[in-house]
Amino acid sequence: MQGPLIDTLARQGVTRRTFFKYCATLASLMALPPSAGRAMAEAMAASPAAVKRPSVIWLPFQECTGCTESITRSHSPTIEGLIFDAISLDYQETLMAAAGHQAEEALHKAMKDNEGKYLLIVDGSIPLGLDGAYSCIAGKSNLETLKEVAKGAAAIVAMGSCAAFGGIPKANPNPTGAVSVSDVIKDKPIINIPGCPPIPVVMTGVLAHFLTFGSLPEMDSKGRPKAFYGETIHDRCYRRPFYDQGKFAKTFDDEGARKGWCLFELGCKGPVTYNACATVKWNGGTSWPVESGHGCLGCSEPDFWDAGGFYKALSMPADPLKMVSAAAAVGAAAGVAVSFANRAKKSAAKAGHETTTLADLEK
Amino acid sequence: MPLENIPIVTVSAGAAVGPAPLDGLSGNAPVLLREIAEHVNRLLATGESSAIDLNALPLTPADLDWLQETLGTGEIAITLESDGDSTLNETACPGVWWVTHHNEHGAVVSRFLEVAFVPELVKAHPEDIKIGLEHLDLLISGLS
Repeated sequence: MQGPLIDTLARQGVTRRTFFKYCATLASLMALPPSAGRAMAEAMAASPAAVKRPSVIWLPFQECTGCTESITRSHSPTIEGLIFDAISLDYQETLMAAAGHQAEEALHKAMKDNEGKYLLIVDGSIPLGLDGAYSCIAGKSNLETLKEVAKGAAAIVAMGSCAAFGGIPKANPNPTGAVSVSDVIKDKPIINIPGCPPIPVVMTGVLAHFLTFGSLPEMDSKGRPKAFYGETIHDRCYRRPFYDQGKFAKTFDDEGARKGWCLFELGCKGPVTYNACATVKWNGGTSWPVESGHGCLGCSEPDFWDAGGFYKALSMPADPLKMVSAAAAVGAAAGVAVSFANRAKKSAAKAGHETTTLADLEK
Repeated sequence: MPLENIPIVTVSAGAAVGPAPLDGLSGNAPVLLREIAEHVNRLLATGESSAIDLNALPLTPADLDWLQETLGTGEIAITLESDGDSTLNETACPGVWWVTHHNEHGAVVSRFLEVAFVPELVKAHPEDIKIGLEHLDLLISGLS
């Protein structure tokens, strides 16, 4: 990119006012005072080419590239995408033209030139099993690479649930011994942006904050930016009044579902999930899971894959072991002559696939 | 598991503890008038403009309607067409502007009450004016 960001934006047909408007909205989403929008816009727009753009190194580990897709394809052409012009993305396997030795060279050059100053973005979990042999890039295990690149980083952004909490690779039985970035790196500021995938504007917001203030935004106890993960999906859900009134959809095609009632009994994890979907929404603000009639899966929470089933209401026992013993007791009482394990398995499967009804809750 | 053990609190729609009374007003809007007056006082005393982020406050749609209606409509209504419309409308209180940003799909993305002589966004930026001047020079050179 040549010249200040604002020139690049202008070439893409984005005027200064459009950019300022975007920054005002971004500041609002981040719960920053209205004046911060102006400060952000000025800081990002004015940073001339003479001032070196902060170097960003993006490392993919055990991941599905969904996070990259989320950020780069939110809707086009996006200002979100253009914000990336304010940084120097020196290494991103999926996006960079270079490959093989050239790519590795770019990585090491960026690390050397910007020692102690670059921002490291990680998506994907890190496998520890078999000495990290489950996932290797350029003949090195992800564990080695992470430790090496993290050493010179100013801060680390753990993008997506896998990097933040281990995610799906870490799900039971975790065959690769996957762990999160914060399980490996202990001596650097780490910000978690969980979600499967995370919301693009959350990423942009954190980047904009880093560019404007040179630091990471305020975080909660799980290392997430408070501005976006400060409240649960449930707290900000437009269906919340139905929950308060005790109006619940019991199946996906009953009257309650048609009337847009609360999806709590259909397994919505909104009450225990901290994320901004309910306010920011997806696909350029078009809709989000609950608005399209499906409960929240809780994808931005640790171990969401093992939380006991997407269609089980939160009030049901989440521990599969408890489910088995309860089902076994029913089997024994009925005197059914099937094997203990089989019966339990069948019941668990049944409970897993069927709608949670009042009768299920009483078992 | 008996039903009583499920932590669901049922309240009737009209009850005082519910999400909002029937008319949808939470009572949070009227107090904002004092805050706006504070901002206007500051504008007059120091010339410093300021803004209130309406999306950051616990206001129901009815609260926003009430506030907008109460503040009334002034003489100037500005529409900015960029990446979806933005409206910057003066209220019946000069210096208080109701600013709404829409995205390209027409959905409201942010709302502000701006207290300023002219909203920040309306002013042309010196850099843009310079570009405009270059264009003017080009036009002039084409005259001869």
